[in-house]
Amino acid sequence: MIEVKIVTFQDIFQYEAQKKGRYSEEYKKLSARIMLDKEDLEKLGIKDGDRVLVKNVNGSVVVAARISDEEPHPQPHPGLAFMINSLWSNQLVGDQADETSIPEFKNISAEVAPTEEQVTEIRELLERIRA
Amino acid sequence: MLAVCTGCSLLCEDIELALKNGAISQAKNLCRKGYAHFQSLFTERTKPQVDGQKASMDEAIARAAEILRESKRPLLYGWSSSSSEAQREGIDLAKKLGATLDDTSSFSEGLLLERVLTGRLSTCTLDDVRNLADLSLFWGSDPSNSHPRLLSRFAYYPRGEKRQKSYEEERTCVVVDVRKSATAALCQQLIRLPPGGDAEFISTVAAVLEGKIPRSGDKKRMIELGTLLRKTEFGAIFPGAGLVHSLKEKMDLLEGLLEQLNRIAPFRVLPMVGHYNGRGFNQLLLDETGFINRVSFQEGQARHSREFSIMEAARSCDAALVIGSDPLSSLPFGVARALASVPLIAIDPRRSLTTDAAEVTLPSAMYGLEAAGTALRMDGVKIEFQPIVESSLMPDREILKRIGEAV
Repeated sequence: MIEVKIVTFQDIFQYEAQKKGRYSEEYKKLSARIMLDKEDLEKLGIKDGDRVLVKNVNGSVVVAARISDEEPHPQPHPGLAFMINSLWSNQLVGDQADETSIPEFKNISAEVAPTEEQVTEIRELLERIRA
Repeated sequence: MLAVCTGCSLLCEDIELALKNGAISQAKNLCRKGYAHFQSLFTERTKPQVDGQKASMDEAIARAAEILRESKRPLLYGWSSSSSEAQREGIDLAKKLGATLDDTSSFSEGLLLERVLTGRLSTCTLDDVRNLADLSLFWGSDPSNSHPRLLSRFAYYPRGEKRQKSYEEERTCVVVDVRKSATAALCQQLIRLPPGGDAEFISTVAAVLEGKIPRSGDKKRMIELGTLLRKTEFGAIFPGAGLVHSLKEKMDLLEGLLEQLNRIAPFRVLPMVGHYNGRGFNQLLLDETGFINRVSFQEGQARHSREFSIMEAARSCDAALVIGSDPLSSLPFGVARALASVPLIAIDPRRSLTTDAAEVTLPSAMYGLEAAGTALRMDGVKIEFQPIVESSLMPDREILKRIGEAV
């Protein structure tokens, strides 16, 4: 297990997939992933594409771990992870905002651990929301 | 035919389309995001529903009105993907119901846009940027993913009035971000900050501009940035969600920096408005109430407070009308859950988690594609659009009007 700080961002390919179909495999594949530094993947003993459980006090999701692709001159960023803003990352965002009432979409502390579980399905996330 | 793209707040007006059998057979000038937006005409459209069952529009409108009539603390939320005319209708409905009214700017660009709309940060049009700017600074923003044609139409590549030599010689682009974004790959400089490092970055820039040695960050790069800023003739700053989330209550620091920069040359701020008519809603509500978002009409007079923000109001409302937005996907889990626990009315052309969870779903026409209207571009310029295909669907303006008549 490692501890990371997650910053979310927008991605045009994921946007496109969402427009084609919010419940599609492509949208899930492009959303449910976390970009980690190479060193963090090594610490976890996993390879690019392996699944990880990302969790904190707010919730948890299973997503694919990817090596962050900052070619051609990657700057190491161990402990800092990136996720595309989506339903998956939002499971980890706290609902108690500070005095600005702006949630911490870009400042998420979480634990990451390897898992054999399948990537969390969007239908399961909807069920959690409606439970 | 010519069309306006409502895929983002650039509202590109130069879209050339050919239609064949109701489908788009050829498209010119659409970016990847715009093309996905136009294609979404044909996928995952909503149908009128009440309690998960197929219903007529009349039945769905009647049920929506009933929910709102019975509600003591209704919340009307969304608005940034509606025409200005629909937004006007929405404000009237909120007044009539004594409802709480908030939009998507509440958890993103609102803090910035408020300062721009009230004149605390000076701004300009995108046409000014094209004609005059020799420096564009993308700060916590990534237009290549969010506003794909910003650089080609305005900020970097075009030959503007005073910038005939354009990006080859006369324009410089700088990205300030926590990661090497797609936009950073196109720009001359990337200043990489640690998350939450923007306040310190501002004080370092301020020091460098005063000729002091920077105490933090990449010193060489900061001195280079200082030199670049000092020789700028017209600077355009495009702050995005990254800056808002990092600075939050310290947004005054940005005002301070802009004051300092404007002693050198005109530096203008153009917030990256997320949805195509987010600015339109904020402007309308400001004109009407003095506040850009987070308003309640419960006691007649408009009141503004953080308790009327979507983050708080999702918990305190007893029914919600959501328009052109998918808060169950886009809000933190706990807030989405609170919202899903009250009767929801969703007005949306397209299926989403929110329309799937709603008690009433009302399909609306897509603006710019199936319905006419006006919107404010991210820089405040008013843009009019016409439909490109025939549709029997009602625009949300009409749906809101009918709900208002029925409550």
